[in-house]
Amino acid sequence: MNSIIGIAVKDTKTFFREKGTIFWTIAFPIMILLLFTAIFGRDIPFNANIGVVDNDHSLISASIITGLNSTKGVFTVKNFTDKTEALKELNTSSVRAVITIPKNFTLNLTMTMPAHVMMAIDETNPDVARLVGDGVKTFFTEFYKQYYHTAYNATYIEPIVVNEEKAVVHEKIGYKENIVPGMLTYPLLFSSMVVATGAIVFEREKGTLKKIRASPVRPINVLLGKTLAALVQTSISILIMAALAVVLLAPKLNWNVPLLVPIFFLGSMNGIALGLIISCIGRAPQEASNAATTIAIVLQFFTGMYFPIEYLPVYMQQIGRLIPMTYAAQALRDIMIRNATPGDLLMPIGTLAATAAIFYAIGVVLYRRWVEK
Amino acid sequence: MIIEVDGLVKHYGNVKAVDDVSFGVNEGETFGLLGPNGAGKTTLMEILCGLRRFDSGKVTVSGFDLIKDAYKVRGVIGFCPQETLLYDLLSVRENLAFSAALYSLDRRKFNERVEFASNVLGIGEFLNRRAQQLSGGMRRRANLAASIIHDPPIVILDEPTVGFDPTIKREFWELIKNLKSSGKTVLLSTHDMYEADEICDRVAIMEKGKVAALDKPRVLKETIGGATAIHVRVKESQTKKALSILEKYNPSLLGDEVQIPAKNPLATMTEVSSKLASEGILTDKIEVVEPTLEDVFIKLSGRKLTEDSA
Repeated sequence: MNSIIGIAVKDTKTFFREKGTIFWTIAFPIMILLLFTAIFGRDIPFNANIGVVDNDHSLISASIITGLNSTKGVFTVKNFTDKTEALKELNTSSVRAVITIPKNFTLNLTMTMPAHVMMAIDETNPDVARLVGDGVKTFFTEFYKQYYHTAYNATYIEPIVVNEEKAVVHEKIGYKENIVPGMLTYPLLFSSMVVATGAIVFEREKGTLKKIRASPVRPINVLLGKTLAALVQTSISILIMAALAVVLLAPKLNWNVPLLVPIFFLGSMNGIALGLIISCIGRAPQEASNAATTIAIVLQFFTGMYFPIEYLPVYMQQIGRLIPMTYAAQALRDIMIRNATPGDLLMPIGTLAATAAIFYAIGVVLYRRWVEK
Repeated sequence: MIIEVDGLVKHYGNVKAVDDVSFGVNEGETFGLLGPNGAGKTTLMEILCGLRRFDSGKVTVSGFDLIKDAYKVRGVIGFCPQETLLYDLLSVRENLAFSAALYSLDRRKFNERVEFASNVLGIGEFLNRRAQQLSGGMRRRANLAASIIHDPPIVILDEPTVGFDPTIKREFWELIKNLKSSGKTVLLSTHDMYEADEICDRVAIMEKGKVAALDKPRVLKETIGGATAIHVRVKESQTKKALSILEKYNPSLLGDEVQIPAKNPLATMTEVSSKLASEGILTDKIEVVEPTLEDVFIKLSGRKLTEDSA
């Protein structure tokens, strides 16, 4: 048999005898297909929390709130009595816009005078800001048509005017400022996870793990060595990406290194621990390697790296909130865009530290079990 | 005894890979496990190195219990498996440095050991070459050097010369003898009877997971392998006549050769040669054939060493 055909036959046979490899190879395109269908192949591609401060306390203002809440999941309204509180939440992106209905809103409307509402938008994400702004304006136009105009059967009434007010959050953020923190999340997911998986898988594949196992080095030390190497490689990856971002995009961001380092470290540890788990679960080296790459590619859509997680269906947003990298991505944005303080980062740091510890502990147990087997 | 194995049993599912094996290895000796593929040699060695668990039995290495003091045992053994476990993209020195790191060697000791390996194993000339650039023989030498970089008293070699051509094989035998001269205890597995005969002080013949016989190669050959024989080859047309002439020597036909057992080989060879000549039979070949470890194995198992163990 020709050597090329012989190699091809051998590889094909090997592929079909590695059940895990088949699974991950086939599962990957299916998962991507399902994911894109779920994200983009639906009627309502967006959901955002908006805050409403109702100073009018009228039937019409109540029906506006009801109407906003009935937008088939586009907006979820959070009511505030105090505008300062609402703007605080806008600052943390808990709500993406704050609509203030002024005291004389109904009076102006019924007196056929222009009725104004005020809207402050979270500008930290240009996509979300645009969608929310357009969505709110469209809502009020529709509200005017469907409710007021029909109810009063008036011939001409000034429509409701949405006045945009400057948000208390920072200056308007461009796409490049928004995308850079997301890009920097990429190494946490890909480099750390894939490198950690590869480090173990490579040793298994080459047989060199035998050399290590025959030495007096304890499994935990092997893992720590691998972790250190993966951290170094991830750090290099982050530095290169950050340098490229600065040189090519020159984003106006807050490079608060003392705050960024713990996020990068904990994010990497999460990725490494996940990689470790995958490398021990995969029966064949190729299976583990494919699984790590596939999982990393899929997870990136849940973490808000490239687009806001509000783009995802609600159930996917909930899945995203279970993934540590989502907190890393958000924390990076908080630091670099919103000038977050250490106090603001307690929750993401705590979450990342806890998940890293849990995943790493699971990885250690699985590795020891695998080695002993 | 630096290695003591007592009643060792290891199953793979329903297959008994190691079946109640007991033996001891003296300090400073070269001990061989001889047997065909599948006889349980590699499993036994991997158990000794802590790479595999075993079902029952007791093993002590340098006085340490293999189970209780697993990490201490690993520290006194240098294991060189069949495959070369080098990192292709690292130089030989970097590979050695990695192995040294596994055993926490300091820089001074490492440099000493690199010098030792350069002198004894002849790796000095390619220390700075990447592993992927080495020939098969060089890789094996570098692999052996990496296995003993921590100066272990015991060196375990799994089929150290398998796949080598005769020249490199002899070269490797010399390296193993050098290890013995430097005071190491060497435990090696092989299915090459000449290798076992050439370099082992004692040999355990393994068959189907059991030790079938254990002694010095010379003793095994004498006691189990059978007597020395004279092998004579004559023209095919004269073979029957030759058998009849040599009848009093109890001849037998082995292929196209007449085989005659001989307690005093040289005298018998002279007698046989002149007897055939006097009857006008010309000999194509006449030689003294000593029993080999292969004969020992055939006597014990009824088949050749090169056949896989069933």
